[in-house]
Amino acid sequence: MKLLKYFSILILFMLFLASCTEKININLDDSYTRLVVDGAITSDTAVHKVILSTTTSFYYNQAAPGVTGALVTINDGFQTITLHESNESPGTYLTDSNTFGIEGRIYSLQIDLPAPINGFSQYKASCELKPVAKLDSIGLHYLDTWEFWEIQCYALDPPAKNFYLFKNYVNGKLVSDTISELIVTDDRMFNGNYTNGVAAGYLSMKKEDEAIKSGDTVKLQISGITEEYARFIWSVQTESGYKNPLFSGPPANVKGNISNGAVGFFTAYSANYATVVAKY
Amino acid sequence: MKVLHKFLLLILFFLIGTAVKLYPAEMPGKLTISGAIKDKKNGESLIGATVFVKELKTGTTSNLYGFYSISLQEGKYTIAYSYMGYFTVEQTITLTSNKTVNIDLEPKLEVLNEVVVTGQRKTENVSANEMSVVKMDIKTIRKIPSLMGEVDVIKAIQLLPGVQATSEGSSGFSVRGGSPDQNLILLDEATVYNASHLMGFFSVFNNDAIKDVKLYKGDIPPSAGGRLSSLLDVRMKDGNSKKRTGTGGIGTISSRLTLEGPLAKGKMSYVVSGRRTYADLFLRLSNKKELRDNTLYFYDLNTKVNYQIDENNRIFVSGYFGRDVFKNSDFQMAWGNTTTTLRWNHLFSKQLFSNFTLIRSKFDYSLGIPEGQAESFNWTSNLEDYSANADFGFYPNTTNTVKFGISSTYHKFVPGTAKGLGDNSFFTEYSVPNNNVLEHAVYASNEQQIGAIITVKYGLRYSLFQNIGSGILYNFDKEFNSIDSTVYSKGVIFNTFSGIEPRIGVTYSINEYSSVKANYSRTKQYIHLASNSTSGTPLDIWFPSSPNVKPQLADQFALGYFRNFNNNTIETSVEGYFKKNHNAIDFKDHAELLLNKKLEGELRFGTAESYGVEFFFKYQKDKLNGWVSYTLSKSTRKIEDINEGKRYPSSYDKPHNISVVLNYEYTKRISAGMNWVFASGSPVTFPTGRAIIGNKIVPVYSDRNAYRMPAYHRMDVSVTIKDKERSDRKWNGEWNFSVYNAYGRKNAWVINFVEDQDNPNTIYAEKTYLFSIVPSITYNFNF
Repeated sequence: MKLLKYFSILILFMLFLASCTEKININLDDSYTRLVVDGAITSDTAVHKVILSTTTSFYYNQAAPGVTGALVTINDGFQTITLHESNESPGTYLTDSNTFGIEGRIYSLQIDLPAPINGFSQYKASCELKPVAKLDSIGLHYLDTWEFWEIQCYALDPPAKNFYLFKNYVNGKLVSDTISELIVTDDRMFNGNYTNGVAAGYLSMKKEDEAIKSGDTVKLQISGITEEYARFIWSVQTESGYKNPLFSGPPANVKGNISNGAVGFFTAYSANYATVVAKY
Repeated sequence: MKVLHKFLLLILFFLIGTAVKLYPAEMPGKLTISGAIKDKKNGESLIGATVFVKELKTGTTSNLYGFYSISLQEGKYTIAYSYMGYFTVEQTITLTSNKTVNIDLEPKLEVLNEVVVTGQRKTENVSANEMSVVKMDIKTIRKIPSLMGEVDVIKAIQLLPGVQATSEGSSGFSVRGGSPDQNLILLDEATVYNASHLMGFFSVFNNDAIKDVKLYKGDIPPSAGGRLSSLLDVRMKDGNSKKRTGTGGIGTISSRLTLEGPLAKGKMSYVVSGRRTYADLFLRLSNKKELRDNTLYFYDLNTKVNYQIDENNRIFVSGYFGRDVFKNSDFQMAWGNTTTTLRWNHLFSKQLFSNFTLIRSKFDYSLGIPEGQAESFNWTSNLEDYSANADFGFYPNTTNTVKFGISSTYHKFVPGTAKGLGDNSFFTEYSVPNNNVLEHAVYASNEQQIGAIITVKYGLRYSLFQNIGSGILYNFDKEFNSIDSTVYSKGVIFNTFSGIEPRIGVTYSINEYSSVKANYSRTKQYIHLASNSTSGTPLDIWFPSSPNVKPQLADQFALGYFRNFNNNTIETSVEGYFKKNHNAIDFKDHAELLLNKKLEGELRFGTAESYGVEFFFKYQKDKLNGWVSYTLSKSTRKIEDINEGKRYPSSYDKPHNISVVLNYEYTKRISAGMNWVFASGSPVTFPTGRAIIGNKIVPVYSDRNAYRMPAYHRMDVSVTIKDKERSDRKWNGEWNFSVYNAYGRKNAWVINFVEDQDNPNTIYAEKTYLFSIVPSITYNFNF
């Protein structure tokens, strides 16, 4: 429920009339190292990526160390693709640029490491590539109070239980480029309905890459994802976001779909797009 | 087990049977003195006043309605009636037939060098056969410095040993390591489900309307049940039956007004008390647009009327209505409690007192986005109780006090319905099915004096819980995945739980100044709160036990030593306790509690344990009075699936807890108050590693609650200056200046790890604190 987040922000505003923040020193212990997997294959014809890294101490303060020299393959029940490691960014494994996923197939990832991490050298994950509704059109609506644009979505939700992922592009460039900026929702509250221009994305005028000018092209991506992936994104957003004793439950590790105790997720999803040109 | 059950039930009915059989045939050769003990000035019944027969060195106390009864052999007796803060009255009574003796005690008002105490039998805390119980009168509570000058019953009890605030400024409290939902909060016998206003910074109890507060941290009487950890029994004033008076106050964030007085020639009296905040007026001054357009307030209304029909019958009607409202053009939210209590006190005989009660209690909330948008919706949730109780007190002789009764409650849960509003809204309706539940109890207890030095009490409570249709029961497999559901039609009882809850206590008087007390109690809890917030929100969802959720059960053992010194000006006690909670409920990681039809699948079960020692030191003399308490405790949980099934500290595990409360009467007109609290930091789960996923730092956590927040401490001070007393006018006023968090300790409310905007991949710890120094001024008056 995104709405819950919306009102908790409002309530917190009230609280924060009186409250302040301050940096403090907290000493933290180090836990053992785990493999981290961040990978996806989509229905777009493109280069698809699987990023392998390891966990580090919490205050590591550098990019996560990549895991190089692994054998990374994706199988969809019909063929096996072997990914090749990027020369520019070690630990990133890429498909060829003509690769695309097919709706309804189950994609299985297998990783064979040159040296074991946390006692395991082989890791597996799989994910179904779910279909998604077409976007009829999108619109833009400015919210004065909050200084952001809503991207309004017009589409028909099919009767089945669906989970959606939305991403925003400005002039062809992905601006929802961190996992915390993704909008993920289930259709519990609108199953089978027409969306009537509900907000499916936000562009903040306070962010450099999102502050659109008249004439800019805004693109919305709608993707059908699995429930497991939706829950993963929600929990990552919860754990990496601001916590407060009122609404946040106790912290807990995010649950991914990689075997042998690795952190992260390998996902497969479909994608449809619609664009609108900003005029104001 | 079944056989034991039946056996215990039999004993229970035997006890009740014996008590009833004794009536009306009064004990041969025994005569009864009975009556009501009231405040001379305003006619308020005095709860727990002492009646002491000097010749026999024995006595009794007045019950919750000020009634007392004591049966003696024919003869001449000197009886002392006393109550804390009142002048003792002694009467010589020649007993040849049953006698009604109504007593009016005169309060010791502002008599310097003799403030507070002395009245109550000086050694009450040592001799009374109850432990783990604290009674606070509203006068004491008013002297404690408070946040924004709002005198608060719940904030006051958080200063007692074994009681902790769940987080800064919260009205939620944990008693001996228990969860906040394990406290039964009663206002004139009606359950208050959410005692918080304004996200918990203030409680729903308006001190002007309250007479008496009693907290049972254990040793809960058999007449009360349904919660594991504590009973907070709050009683409203009956209303002044002598003359019309008013009290009120104008404060920094709220104003109050209470009117009370007699009706129908003193046979009837009323009290009406209201309070409203105006915090939102300050928001208008804000330069931030998003704050300016908000409405934010709460109000309380307490009303009560009582009517003394004749000597043997009295009725009371009382109600509480409170609401919080938060609104702006984009969003609205409101929540509140409503309780109504109808009571009838009836004397079947001089020895058999009865009270019949009908209660309705409701808690509801709603929130939504106003009509006209695609996202417009309205979401409502509520919980409603209807109860009927009959409670009897039987006083056969000076050595036995028998209590028994029966109660039935119908709970109706409407966990949540959300639906779109208006033509534009794309939301359909989504609702979580209602639950209907019956909760019954029958109980009996006897308090018995054995010789001069031992007092025992033993009681049983038999509780019965039933899930009734119409309803939907979701069935789950062992991994908590929902398999299917069963639909039950209206009126069908589809699940029953029952159990015996023994409550036993003994007091051994070593001498006049010291005693040892021991206690065992078992409590059962059939309805639970779905919340994984540590500080409490209005979005409470209570849910009943069901075939998927066994009732929670707790066994508590307590042992205490009580000793008074220095002519009873110093009261001390040490109490140790051990509490084991079976079928403890917690929630799985990242549980979805709101608007979830399959909420029961999010629950995880296990055990919880807590133990500790509470030291209490109270000083009351002359100008200075107050108390110091220190609690050393531990509280842990072990829940399947949580923390890999390993035992972990509960969120309310704060090993060291100190409270110091002082009040100093400088002159007749000026007094000063101070309190200081210290608590070990709350247990917290911190990251011990990180992963980078989707360009975001994602924490990898330690074991559950493996770390602690920094320790919490705070001092509050206040000064009260009374107007000069003038005999030519009725109006009396006083100014109260208070400072919350006087030395500006920045107590961490929450610690977050924040990504540095300027240095990618860099993260630092940041604490949020709610209050630095908060000064306030309140003007209180009475007329």
